[in-house]
Amino acid sequence: MLDLSFLPSGRGGAVTDLPDDQDDAQTFAMDAAAFSHPSFVLPSVADPVAWMKHQMSDAAENRIKMAKGTTTLAFKFKDGIIVAVDSRATGGTYIASQSVKKIIEINPYLLGTMAGGAADCSYWERELGRRCRVYELRNKERISVAAASKLLSNMVYAYKGMGLSMGTMVVGWDKTGPALFYVDSDGQRLKGDLFSVGSGSTFAYGVLDSGYHCNLSIEEAIDLGRRSIYHATFRDAASGGSVLIYHVRQDGWQVISRTDVTELHYQYAEEPRPSLL
Amino acid sequence: MAMKGKNCVAIAADRRFGVQLMTLSTDFQKIFEINPRTYIGLPGLATDVQTLSELFRFKTNLYKLREERDISPKTFSHMVSSTLYEKRFGNYFCEPVIAGIEKDGSPYICSMDLLGCINHAKDFVVSGTASSQMYGTAEGLWEPELEPEELFETIAQAMMSAVDRDASSGWGVIVHVITQDGVMTKTLKARMD
Amino acid sequence: MQMYEEQKSSCPVKVPVECRFSPYTDNGGTTLAIAGDDFCVIAGDTRQSEGYSINSRYAPKVYQLSNGSVLATGGMYADGVTLVKMIEQRLEWYRHAHDKQMSSGALAQMLSTILYHKRMFPYYVWNTLGGLDEDGKGAVYSYDPVGSYEKQKWNCSGSAGHLIQPFLDNQIGFTHQKEKAPLTLERVVQVTKDAFTSATERDIYTGDNLEMFLVTQNGIEKTRVELKKD
Repeated sequence: MLDLSFLPSGRGGAVTDLPDDQDDAQTFAMDAAAFSHPSFVLPSVADPVAWMKHQMSDAAENRIKMAKGTTTLAFKFKDGIIVAVDSRATGGTYIASQSVKKIIEINPYLLGTMAGGAADCSYWERELGRRCRVYELRNKERISVAAASKLLSNMVYAYKGMGLSMGTMVVGWDKTGPALFYVDSDGQRLKGDLFSVGSGSTFAYGVLDSGYHCNLSIEEAIDLGRRSIYHATFRDAASGGSVLIYHVRQDGWQVISRTDVTELHYQYAEEPRPSLL
Repeated sequence: MAMKGKNCVAIAADRRFGVQLMTLSTDFQKIFEINPRTYIGLPGLATDVQTLSELFRFKTNLYKLREERDISPKTFSHMVSSTLYEKRFGNYFCEPVIAGIEKDGSPYICSMDLLGCINHAKDFVVSGTASSQMYGTAEGLWEPELEPEELFETIAQAMMSAVDRDASSGWGVIVHVITQDGVMTKTLKARMD
Repeated sequence: MQMYEEQKSSCPVKVPVECRFSPYTDNGGTTLAIAGDDFCVIAGDTRQSEGYSINSRYAPKVYQLSNGSVLATGGMYADGVTLVKMIEQRLEWYRHAHDKQMSSGALAQMLSTILYHKRMFPYYVWNTLGGLDEDGKGAVYSYDPVGSYEKQKWNCSGSAGHLIQPFLDNQIGFTHQKEKAPLTLERVVQVTKDAFTSATERDIYTGDNLEMFLVTQNGIEKTRVELKKD
């Protein structure tokens, strides 16, 4: 264990903004701090929330832009859950990346999707992964998807109104079977069979709803997920890149495919289409 | 985007028409032929693009009837400039790009701001939502004295790479290479996201 | 830091007028990183500016870290300096605790966490981290100011990022090209130089000098190239 007692006030003045749970020693000790919320540095102004909102707004002189714009979807069917996402990150209309991994592997049985602020999603879902592991070690069993999604929802709810932006789906398989939850930064948490989140979600829903039923075969379900994302990337400027698909089964998740949407576009264009009349 | 070459010019545009993030059409025309040696690209508000293209068609037809010859690219660009400045206090939302071959065979390109301030360039001009991306690619790829085929490859690469980094451009690219002998038009297979 | 100032007017009633606390400035500049099979090039210009004025023609914002990685910081210079200090301290603690250097992958995740812990008061910095991974392959990680990060093959951010990134996609990623030339260190260095000379023509915040760090198995070589000073 690292002895830092020689430093004034435990850890020294300059680094007091480090949250307690980041300290290796404390994490290993598994005390209450391991389950407390991390602390964040705040600007010394009367109303930090309003200040931060201003910094993120168009009016700010030096605006802090965050990567946004997405299409994600997940649905249950008889053989598990299909999760499909696009891979584009935009800052304004500039495409910051075409290769973002918007499905976060929380652990071998849990997946989280990413929509809204990229940093918010990846940080909190990583934190969720850590807490799920702590839960496993304490209780000698895996955490249920319901409990995991509630952990996430409670964590972000503690910061409600402070500008966090995330719309995520927590997906997994537990004792009760396949489970799918929608969690967002407002604190909303919904259980459901089918969700689509992000700027392209309306387009994805259009395709998804018209082709969805519970008895889809695995191939049909994968194809439906892929088509839904593809059509969303076609119409929605903020979605694009490639379609990443995961399948969640009893023995955990599996990566199905990662396909560039350009390939899909010309592949789908070849397919015969019914005439309009 | 327009580029100069050796006795040739090229003009290229994407084919998307959309409202903010929603793409409505992927075969929208932004480049218009004024005459076989003069082309104009009109990026901006779709209604103004169509109004202006019709207005210029009208004006250049009148010019041809009166003068019994095609308007030269340089004269045409001043006509465009005046047309835009006439609406100084209630302007069109469009920043045109003009490319053509002059009577003496020399290449001509220019761009304009939305009030009609002309910008002549010796190498290339860009306009539209992906302008900073196009500046980067064109500045890196362009060379002086390019032959028509090389010019086509340069503008195509510059345009395709630029629109691939802009969410509100793309869905196909069209390129016109104008030489004294005629115009070569190609529609490029592009990313559709 | 003055947060309130007295109203300067002829008004007989004195009312405190709130000035907004604005701790951020954009000092401009462009940073770039490209990963190869067994090398990594991290580069940045050295101009430091504020609005239309140039503060310094040589203020490097690319830093060689003690674990052998290289960090490029764009955006606000002061935040970049502070951040590098923070990272160096954490790297030293890691060495004391574990008796080894932090790997570039671990550093990448740590940087993300450091940035996110200032989620409500971010560092105004666009980071790009470059180095070699455990297998000796080139690795580039790029960040947004609040710690969202991604491992990439090439990245350019900062004031001319929008200009250079599509050029790199074309010249390093060979998008829309049939022939793909092998990515040698010489070619990467040449593309980097071309990218910066081009960007200097069109971006007023980029120029003066180009500083490049060439990371290979043999160590880190630092080179400097002059850019236009207008």
